[in-house]
Amino acid sequence: MLAELGFIATFLAFLAALYAAGMAFYGVRRRDDRLLLSARNAALATFPLMSVSLGALLIALVTQQYQIAYVWNVTDPNTPTFFRITALWGAQAGSLLFWSGIMSAFAFGTIALNWHGQRRLMPYVITYIMLTLAFFLGLSLFLENPFERYWIMPDNSVVKSVFALSGAVPPAAARLAETSHGLNPLLRHFGMIVHPPLLYMGFVGFIIPFAFAMAALASGDLSTGWIKATRRWTLLAWVSLSLGLVLGGRWAYDVLGWGGWWGWDPVENAAFLPWLLGTAFLHSVMIQEKRGMLKVWNMFLMLGTFSAVIFGTFATRSGLVDSVHSFARSGIGFPLFFFWFSVTAVSVGMLLWRWRRGELRDDRRFNGLLSRESLFVLNNIVFVMLFIAIFWGSFGAPIVSELFLGTNITLGKDYFLQVTPPLFLALFILMGVAPLSAWGVTSLLRLGKALIVPALLAAAMVALLALMQPAEPLVLLIYGVIALSGTVALWETYRGAAARHKTLGENWATAVTALVARNRRRYGGYLIHLSIAIVGIGALGSELYQQETQRTLAVGQSLALGGYTMRYDGFLGGQIADDGRVMDIAQVTVIRDGREIAHLRPRRDFYPNAEGMNTMTIPAAHSTAENDFYVLLVDWEAISASSATFKVFINPLINLIWWGSLLLVFGTLVGMYPDEKHALATAVAAQPSRLAGVKA
Amino acid sequence: MKTLVKVTLVLVLIVMAFAAVTLSVSAQDDPRRPVSDDEVNAVSKKLYCPVCENITLDTCGTLACAQWRDEVRILLSEGNTPEQVIENFVVRFGDRVVGTPVDPLLRAIALITPWVFSAAVLVGVAVVFFRWRSEGTHTAPMAAKRSTEKTPNATHSLEDYRARLESDLAARR
Repeated sequence: MLAELGFIATFLAFLAALYAAGMAFYGVRRRDDRLLLSARNAALATFPLMSVSLGALLIALVTQQYQIAYVWNVTDPNTPTFFRITALWGAQAGSLLFWSGIMSAFAFGTIALNWHGQRRLMPYVITYIMLTLAFFLGLSLFLENPFERYWIMPDNSVVKSVFALSGAVPPAAARLAETSHGLNPLLRHFGMIVHPPLLYMGFVGFIIPFAFAMAALASGDLSTGWIKATRRWTLLAWVSLSLGLVLGGRWAYDVLGWGGWWGWDPVENAAFLPWLLGTAFLHSVMIQEKRGMLKVWNMFLMLGTFSAVIFGTFATRSGLVDSVHSFARSGIGFPLFFFWFSVTAVSVGMLLWRWRRGELRDDRRFNGLLSRESLFVLNNIVFVMLFIAIFWGSFGAPIVSELFLGTNITLGKDYFLQVTPPLFLALFILMGVAPLSAWGVTSLLRLGKALIVPALLAAAMVALLALMQPAEPLVLLIYGVIALSGTVALWETYRGAAARHKTLGENWATAVTALVARNRRRYGGYLIHLSIAIVGIGALGSELYQQETQRTLAVGQSLALGGYTMRYDGFLGGQIADDGRVMDIAQVTVIRDGREIAHLRPRRDFYPNAEGMNTMTIPAAHSTAENDFYVLLVDWEAISASSATFKVFINPLINLIWWGSLLLVFGTLVGMYPDEKHALATAVAAQPSRLAGVKA
Repeated sequence: MKTLVKVTLVLVLIVMAFAAVTLSVSAQDDPRRPVSDDEVNAVSKKLYCPVCENITLDTCGTLACAQWRDEVRILLSEGNTPEQVIENFVVRFGDRVVGTPVDPLLRAIALITPWVFSAAVLVGVAVVFFRWRSEGTHTAPMAAKRSTEKTPNATHSLEDYRARLESDLAARR
């Protein structure tokens, strides 16, 4: 029943998406408002239909319907309810359906909020979103169907089909439960409830600005309307992707057991690439809004961002690259590649068409080499260079070497740490300098003067960091550059609040909140800059000053590292957890300055039912603002466990990465929050309109 | 009898002395030395698992990788430098086991290409920038005017836009 319900709902959503795309396009060409309304309603219907579809799969997972192959593959009777829910996106078929569900939700939200305000663009927006949704639903229906069930045929062969086949009987429920696989052990982490949904929201969310950009190109309305309509959608996608990336790092830190959080793995990089272009876009659209410049460039960045999203999806799901993140090889590789190629070719073709017709001419020219707009352009160039370097290292070089040189190469951390640091440093310098420069033209003297106080503040922060973690002069200089990007944001906010405090007599709290409320976008942006500076300092400190050692200890013996001492106290072998995994747990005590500060339990988990990788090394850590003391259980003496081997890391400043990302969310929320003027404009636009003679 | 005992003792002493010399020589020549886990990990960190892509040897949990780590230990204990150990693995498994290729051509391609592409982007941007500047001195006012005529300006109000849209739709009817 659940399988049929889910399949039929998905199929209806597929038909509705196709119908909406066709009718929206046909309606706008025929200028027929009834067709447009029909297309809109069909597009809106995809969301409730996908909710039914996802709900059916979720209920099947929670109620253990093992006849459904997907449920059998990703859960077993021992799987806790929490992981039954996360299993929805725990394998290819479910995650594709989930992806489509998120897309339908974004489509619903966009149509509901923008139908009245963007009447000229919306038919095209619906066309592009619904075509993309139909493509992904087609993958779910025809290649990766999560609703297929197992059937035993009269000749005893087992086949998969959604609907009952003639003469077929379902396998015995007990047998199915007994042989079910359970969730991939790598995915049994609390972060799995938020990391994939956020990453998918980030990926899928970029469909909205992309569809608006394409709509602008198709309709010829090349004003800033499409940018204004999509700013919050873009920010939502961007912050989701940012958080998804950081939480992915946290998951790697907690689960993969290698002491780090970013491994430059191709699949990590595949998610980072659209982030780079999306971030460049968020900066450069400001120039178009304020100065009427960079129209072609902004289009290019948005089309590139969405193209990178689809390419990343293709790379992850096709088996193009092997990684701990990637899905198994499957039949969706070629369709995804074809879709990526088509999307890119069509969007670039349309951009070139409008460009050649001279419809994307800028309203203004650059006045001087040193201005806020030229620094933003420079910032964009650095983002694009980073994109090129990371794309080349992750996909370009391995593919080119295999195709043309007949050899396999891996460009790993060594490559990325050689190529990307100068570019990241350039970005931090620009983050510090650009907010202090003026639109139009600025002077070096003026910039220099504006930098004095933030530079002093940055120097004070560097001194503090040097006290916590002694470092070489060059590293301290780099810390200083990163800190400067944050202190500029702090100083600018302080200056604004001080002006209000002095002239209006407001107390400091009121002055700060009123200042931020008057220009949420600007001060939200400053908070984001501050958060990126904090994350940058954490990333640099944890990368450069990580210490590690591996030692075999007998019970009672200790090892020393970075001012800490760790004592091996004992071992609890063969502990059975509620979900059926077998845990081997070492007990250690962490001592600092002669005082016991933590008792940790690094462990090895064994999953008897899991296919493939069935053993997980789970670290234990003692966290402080200064660093993490991070312990892995590597091996132990069989049976007696009288001795055990530990790998111990000291990860300095790593917690700044997680704290900085929280500030990033807050800053983005501040930047996204609509101001009063916008709220009023939206309310006006939302009033029933007679403009196009369409009843809402 | 005494002579026999003496001869035997002498023979035993000779044999013992020979054995001691031989053993001491072989002990001096034995290049193997104890190698710590940290030394093994330092080298393994620079090697990628030849079987599971994109996982370094020091973190890979497979049995094959454990055996390769043992090999690293043996090679180091035999007096090989870390570079020699890495080279040994590259010879056997190819450039895919290192983070950047050892082969000079592959290495150059890997490291220089992104900068070549980036330089091309920079040149392209510079060309466009200077063309804009030179065009701007002659045509900027016209372009700005044309743009205002064709597209709604950023500063236009919603009412302006609605009025234009209404007249546009009226013209189509």
